Amino acid sequence: MNKLICLMAGVCLCLVGVAHAATEDPMRSPGWRIIEQRFFADQTVVFDDRVQVLAPQSAEDTFAVPGFVRVDGIEDIERLVVITDLNPIQRVLEMDINDAVKPAVGFRFKVQQRTPVRAAVQTSDGTWYLGGTWVDAAGGGCTAPSTASADPDWANRLGEVDAALWARDDGIQRLKTRLVHPMDTGLVDNIPAFYLETLELLDEKGDVLTSLSIQAAMSENPVLSFDLAVDGPVRLQGRDNQGNRIRGMVEP
Amino acid sequence: MRFTRTRSMMAAGASSALMAAALTSGTVVASDNNVVTQQMINEDAMHTDRVTSYGMGPHHQRYSSLDQINHDTVSGLVPAWAFSFGGEQQRGQETQALIHEGVMYITGSYSRMWALDAKSGEMLWSYEHRLPDGISPCCDVVNRGAAIYDDLVIFGTLDAMMVAVDRETGRVRWREKIADYQAGYSYTAAPLIANDLLIHGNSGGEFGAVGMVTARDPRTGEMVWERPVVEGHVGTLPDGSESMTGELNATWEGETWKQGGGAPWLGGSYDPELNLIYIGTGNPAPWNAHARPGDNLYTSTRLALDADTGEIVWHYQPTPNDHWDYDGVNEMVLFDLDYDGETVKAAATADRNGFFYVLDRENGALLSATKFVNEVSWAEGVDLETGRPIETGNRPGNPADTEGDEGESVVARPAFLGGKNWNHMSYSQRTGLFYIPSNEWEMEIWNEPVTYRRGAAFLGAGFTIKPVYDDKVGVMRAMDPKTGEIKFEVPNRTPLWSSVLTTAGGLVFYGTPEGYLKAICDETGEEMWKFQTGSGVVGQPVTWEMDGEQYITVASGWGGAVPLWGGEIGPLVSHITQGGMMWTFKLADIQTAAAR
Repeated sequence: MNKLICLMAGVCLCLVGVAHAATEDPMRSPGWRIIEQRFFADQTVVFDDRVQVLAPQSAEDTFAVPGFVRVDGIEDIERLVVITDLNPIQRVLEMDINDAVKPAVGFRFKVQQRTPVRAAVQTSDGTWYLGGTWVDAAGGGCTAPSTASADPDWANRLGEVDAALWARDDGIQRLKTRLVHPMDTGLVDNIPAFYLETLELLDEKGDVLTSLSIQAAMSENPVLSFDLAVDGPVRLQGRDNQGNRIRGMVEP
Repeated sequence: MRFTRTRSMMAAGASSALMAAALTSGTVVASDNNVVTQQMINEDAMHTDRVTSYGMGPHHQRYSSLDQINHDTVSGLVPAWAFSFGGEQQRGQETQALIHEGVMYITGSYSRMWALDAKSGEMLWSYEHRLPDGISPCCDVVNRGAAIYDDLVIFGTLDAMMVAVDRETGRVRWREKIADYQAGYSYTAAPLIANDLLIHGNSGGEFGAVGMVTARDPRTGEMVWERPVVEGHVGTLPDGSESMTGELNATWEGETWKQGGGAPWLGGSYDPELNLIYIGTGNPAPWNAHARPGDNLYTSTRLALDADTGEIVWHYQPTPNDHWDYDGVNEMVLFDLDYDGETVKAAATADRNGFFYVLDRENGALLSATKFVNEVSWAEGVDLETGRPIETGNRPGNPADTEGDEGESVVARPAFLGGKNWNHMSYSQRTGLFYIPSNEWEMEIWNEPVTYRRGAAFLGAGFTIKPVYDDKVGVMRAMDPKTGEIKFEVPNRTPLWSSVLTTAGGLVFYGTPEGYLKAICDETGEEMWKFQTGSGVVGQPVTWEMDGEQYITVASGWGGAVPLWGGEIGPLVSHITQGGMMWTFKLADIQTAAAR
């Protein structure tokens, strides 16, 4: 019986291997095979120019590289993931997309070395559409201490939320927020991993607009922006990996 | 456009279930047989395959009926595995391990916690609490252990938080603030599970903190009741109504009660049948007793609290108007005592002040009080009628009576670190004796004027500790609770700062700052085994059985209050090197094979 299972597993591996060989990475990233296995195993992946990541060619500040994901012309998107192939923490964020929340997100992230930064969006049929760009960097963004880790008073401002809403001409509200948090990766000696891991946007009634899962690859004091197809105030609530809660509210 | 800034609420009651649902990565749901219930904790001492509570049972006897390791076999006790407390944070390992379903849960200095495979010592997960720089633990960065309940493991941190994590994954389930660390509060004890509640005190008596016992729903962290332990302060009952502790100014003249100390910083024991929680309270603040005339209830006191409401059912105060920092926090060990031909539900406690008290745990009546250290200068005895000490007039002078700032100093025995400190004694059901890790030392102490400043030390006293004898500070003593007789003594060059474990194998296990885990005969004190762990042992040995083999585990890692506050004891311990290891022992395979 055990042998049979082994045999079947072996067959599966082979098939997966064949499938992998079929998805050629247009970015020619040395990390793609690992990324594919870790995040997209057994799933349909399409590289598509309609998924765009805007980021500087070269990172000026490896601790906070600005990035923006924009997707035009793909319908029925349900998930959006941002991945950096060659960072020790590869996934930057993951969020729900729906009628109220457009597949557009701005963020700042850490870069450990020159790496592709990719966005992947998943449609309701399960297909992933990927796009991305390379960011060149001097490196070290994930393995240097946060500014907060050297600040004796870091706890006083922990969890502060700054936020603003702009109404655009096309009926979309742009939400921009900054959350005060060290976002320590745990990869620096004697500084434990300490980062925001969930964030939710809610409407006035308390219904969840979107949920985000965040990793410590996000910059210290994360800055995020979203395009919302709803009016009215937005509430933010989240939690870090040590149970600290954050909460904020912003009105148009 | 409007710009809004919000200071987030760190601990307001957002539903943790909602938060858990928002997590995208899957969490493993604990299987039913891995859930820890109140009943399992109540019966902890009856099961040898687990240690589900601090104290090895709610009675805190630290006794195991296991006897595979005994007088005949102990020579074959060898390390099974060791685990490093890691990095630069090795010092001060006072933890007691919990073991359940093959997993060991331990805490470490600097508010850290690990789950280990109890068989191999391999780490399953770790939790490292991010501490602010401004924490102010009086007596080192220690932690004494966790509590397990349901599918959670819960511990307190140096920045005065309670943190509950999923036992399988190590992910934080909830976190609640005990008090403001910037006002001098912290937490180092192991919390207690009693009456399906999470019970914890607080630390900070050296900073004018106000002692408080709090009960929470262990699943959510929500507060159920809280009871301040200084008279005049107002507590909260489960229905949300308020009630005052004691009576304002009844035993405490003036205003100092407002910052009156009494921190119950060591946690408590529990009688499930009586539904009473037994917890001790710390020294009153400031140390200078001239600033607080009266008995100062309920500081330096043992309390029995109704586990349903937190109300004080009875109290016993070993050191009224404490002038010597004789915290009354030491554990109450619950046991059955033959007294005048009857079996009494008794509790015994070895106080910092040098006396060993036996109380009726139903009503707090004092049954006996005996010196358990040779040298007690502040009182010649205890009046069994009134329960009050017969003082000798050994109090430091009032600074107001002298010129300059310093009052007249006195030499008092024991020193403020106590005839016994936090490290727990054990009661052997085999011998009927208590094994007390005691210390002989004295102090010079004097008073100074002091005013309260938030977050700053609030003592009003100066002091220095000295040894009493040239050749020993620590003395392991076997005490008969019926007679007060000391059956044997085992001296130790340095202070004893490790808890004690007794077993049906006729052995008493304890650690020494010299680095040894020792096993002595429970009848004679004869040393039967020792192992050098590499650093001072200030941890708490426990034992359990797994796959037919008896295991012993203890944390090694010198630290705690002695190197910080020990005065002239310092030179005795300054050579002790740093280390931080969890050591686990079992009988050598060859020997167990032979025994089979």
